[in-house]
Amino acid sequence: MVKLRAGSKVQGSEDDSKKRRKIPDTAPLVAVLILMMVYFTFASEYFFQVENFKNILANAAVTGIVCIPSTFLIIAGQIDLSVGSAAAVSGMMLAQVVNAHGVPLGLLAVLVFGLAFGCFNGFIVTVIGVNALITTLGGLGFLYGVALLIGNGQTVGMNNFEWLGTAQPLNIPLPIVIFAVLAIIGAITLRFTKFGRSIYAIGSNPNAARVVGIRSNRVIFQTFILSAVASAFAGAVLTSQLSAGSPNSGLGLELQVVTAIVLGGASLAGGRGSIFGTVLGLLIVGILNNGLILMDVPTFWQRIAQGLMLILAVSFDSIRAKLNNTRS
Amino acid sequence: MSNTTELIRLERIKKSYNSVEVLHGVDLTVNAGEVVALLGENGAGKSTLVKILAGDISPTEGVIKINGTELSELDVYQARELGIRMIFQELNDAPSLTVAENIFLGQWPTSGGRVAWKELKEKAKAVLDRLEVDIPLDVEAGSLRVGERQLLEIARALIQNAKILVLDEPSAALSNVEVERLFKVMDQLKAQGVGMVYITHRLDEVNRVADRVQVLRDGNSVLNEGAKNVSREELVTAMLGHAAAQNSRPVVSKGTTRALEVKNLSDGEVYKNISFDVNQGEVVCLFGKIGSGTSEILESIFGLRGITSGDITINGDKFQPKSPQDSTSKKIGYLPADRQRLGSFAIRSVAENLSVASWARMAKAGFIRKMDEEAAYGTWAEALSISARRGPSQEIATLSGGNQQKVLLGRWFEAKVNVLLLVEPTRGVDVGARRDIYEIIRKQAKETNMAVLVATSDYEEVVLLADRALVVSRGEISAEFTDDLVQANKLIAASS
Repeated sequence: MVKLRAGSKVQGSEDDSKKRRKIPDTAPLVAVLILMMVYFTFASEYFFQVENFKNILANAAVTGIVCIPSTFLIIAGQIDLSVGSAAAVSGMMLAQVVNAHGVPLGLLAVLVFGLAFGCFNGFIVTVIGVNALITTLGGLGFLYGVALLIGNGQTVGMNNFEWLGTAQPLNIPLPIVIFAVLAIIGAITLRFTKFGRSIYAIGSNPNAARVVGIRSNRVIFQTFILSAVASAFAGAVLTSQLSAGSPNSGLGLELQVVTAIVLGGASLAGGRGSIFGTVLGLLIVGILNNGLILMDVPTFWQRIAQGLMLILAVSFDSIRAKLNNTRS
Repeated sequence: MSNTTELIRLERIKKSYNSVEVLHGVDLTVNAGEVVALLGENGAGKSTLVKILAGDISPTEGVIKINGTELSELDVYQARELGIRMIFQELNDAPSLTVAENIFLGQWPTSGGRVAWKELKEKAKAVLDRLEVDIPLDVEAGSLRVGERQLLEIARALIQNAKILVLDEPSAALSNVEVERLFKVMDQLKAQGVGMVYITHRLDEVNRVADRVQVLRDGNSVLNEGAKNVSREELVTAMLGHAAAQNSRPVVSKGTTRALEVKNLSDGEVYKNISFDVNQGEVVCLFGKIGSGTSEILESIFGLRGITSGDITINGDKFQPKSPQDSTSKKIGYLPADRQRLGSFAIRSVAENLSVASWARMAKAGFIRKMDEEAAYGTWAEALSISARRGPSQEIATLSGGNQQKVLLGRWFEAKVNVLLLVEPTRGVDVGARRDIYEIIRKQAKETNMAVLVATSDYEEVVLLADRALVVSRGEISAEFTDDLVQANKLIAASS
């Protein structure tokens, strides 16, 4: 064995001081966030209020729950567009089952649906070999149909299960607490576990990941399951908030999720991204929506702003990739 | 044969890059209906010379005469105009288009703005007939064998009126049958007055296909003779000079416990009937020219490539790898030749690239500490003298090729593998660092009882690295050398 000294001096470590002063990748996002908050504070007297921030976070939390595993997928070079429809189906199922059989069975139905649909996506992508974009685009389409089918096209009211969406332990809405816990678990998983690190490796170079013995297909399969279960759970939270399952409740969720993640610095080419970045992206999207509402901007303008924001975020991603190529 | 018409003449060609002269006044003449075999080791100047011929780069000094007229300058467009065409080893076709379309790629005949399919097919048929090859016109090019696709490229060159063909190692990826077919086509072209420059590493081809042979060494033309007048030994000596004999051999030790045993292995395509073994602590090199099958044998042992028959035994146990995961869990490591595609995680840090194969061992209760990764990197950065200016968190893609290779090598040392498979371990590594790498591979092997199997096309590497050398030629083991018999000239003679 060549002499092993744990923590032996690394070549070039004299530059460490420089390294520490390096500006983190997320710095521009924090700057944008602060600028937006300053602007909206002056633009609307209702913006800088505790209740309003609670409101922003509560709205962002449901999207955020879906964002955590979706961030995993995008870092692994995959994507899940079916999240909105999966949430809608889950919400419809919850309303029907809770009304007929009570809350525990309703939640079980949500979990089973999430697991089953995740396995379906994972199977099509890793075993059959269809690319994730097409697979989940198909899922987005057919599950929306299933959501309409369950309620015969109608909204289904739900009784006696409001607490999941509306409870406020310590005066904080429960969805925010759930999201915060999931985000922390997600961040730790991604950074410090073999599973999380494998996700970065797979996204960075799937072929090399295979050569070093990472079970890429298994990891991707598991991540699709996480994504579907999170979507189903988000659907349950939404239904609980509204006290009704609506087939349209998940419309456009995938757009918000992908926008937040890409805005947060994840690369659609894979290998790059973080939960912290995603949370920042989520806040930017949430504050923009909230600010526009407070300024009485009509809702269709919000849609336009959101779509443009995604294109902007992806453009930044491409420009960064080009800059990196020319540098090396 | 008439070889009176001189098509092209390069005189006293010199070429410098950044004031380093790589060609020191080389002549090259090609006559109509003549095949000139151009030989030389890697870095001898063959590619530079043919790039000048194709107008890709211009010489620093020297004269270019085409059909007797001296040119002040030759650029790519002029070269094409004059009928100079290059055929590379890598294919430049469109696999999803048909054979006929590929022959006319980008220059489809049209009538009234639409592709004139009838004319296209007739002309394609005519040119294939001219080459006396029988390939169906309507199948997709991608469904053909490599050799056939290469013939399509020649056909395309002919459609574009080629008078001089430069073939850059076309036979490297071909089977014996396909090579013979290529030679028949070259005979046809010769009879039709096309002049050819044929670059090859295979000495036995010289006699078969060439009229004249020219050898380059270190930017000089050291031999230019009729192909029938030179022996194989003369060619080897001309290519190597005398310097090659001076590499000193390491102290050989072979070990006694068998770590890897391969018996009658065949993949049904590139190699067949391969049998050998590697002991613990022993470094065995499979030496062969690119395309000879050495790298494919290693791919099969690692589970990247299927086998049709034969057995692999690791430490006494039968081993049937179905995927790389089977191999890594058996403590087998694999360093691919294609670093970008199979080796490095370009946008991830050097520390992560180095420890990725050891995560399972490093994980404590499922968690991997960055500290452990950086410590592992620190150890190997020192042992392998990896220089990453910004330390363990620097992205690997920003390192030089040599440093990247060292990180990937360190990856498997850190993973403490029992069997290490290396394909072209010093490709892209500067000469100075190579000897360090050889030394460290040998030291690691001896100290940790690791069996090392190397596939390489670099004879010098074999001489400096191997305890034992096996020569692979066209998919079969053709010779074995041990101790001081591992010598450059012996290796090359046996591999050709």
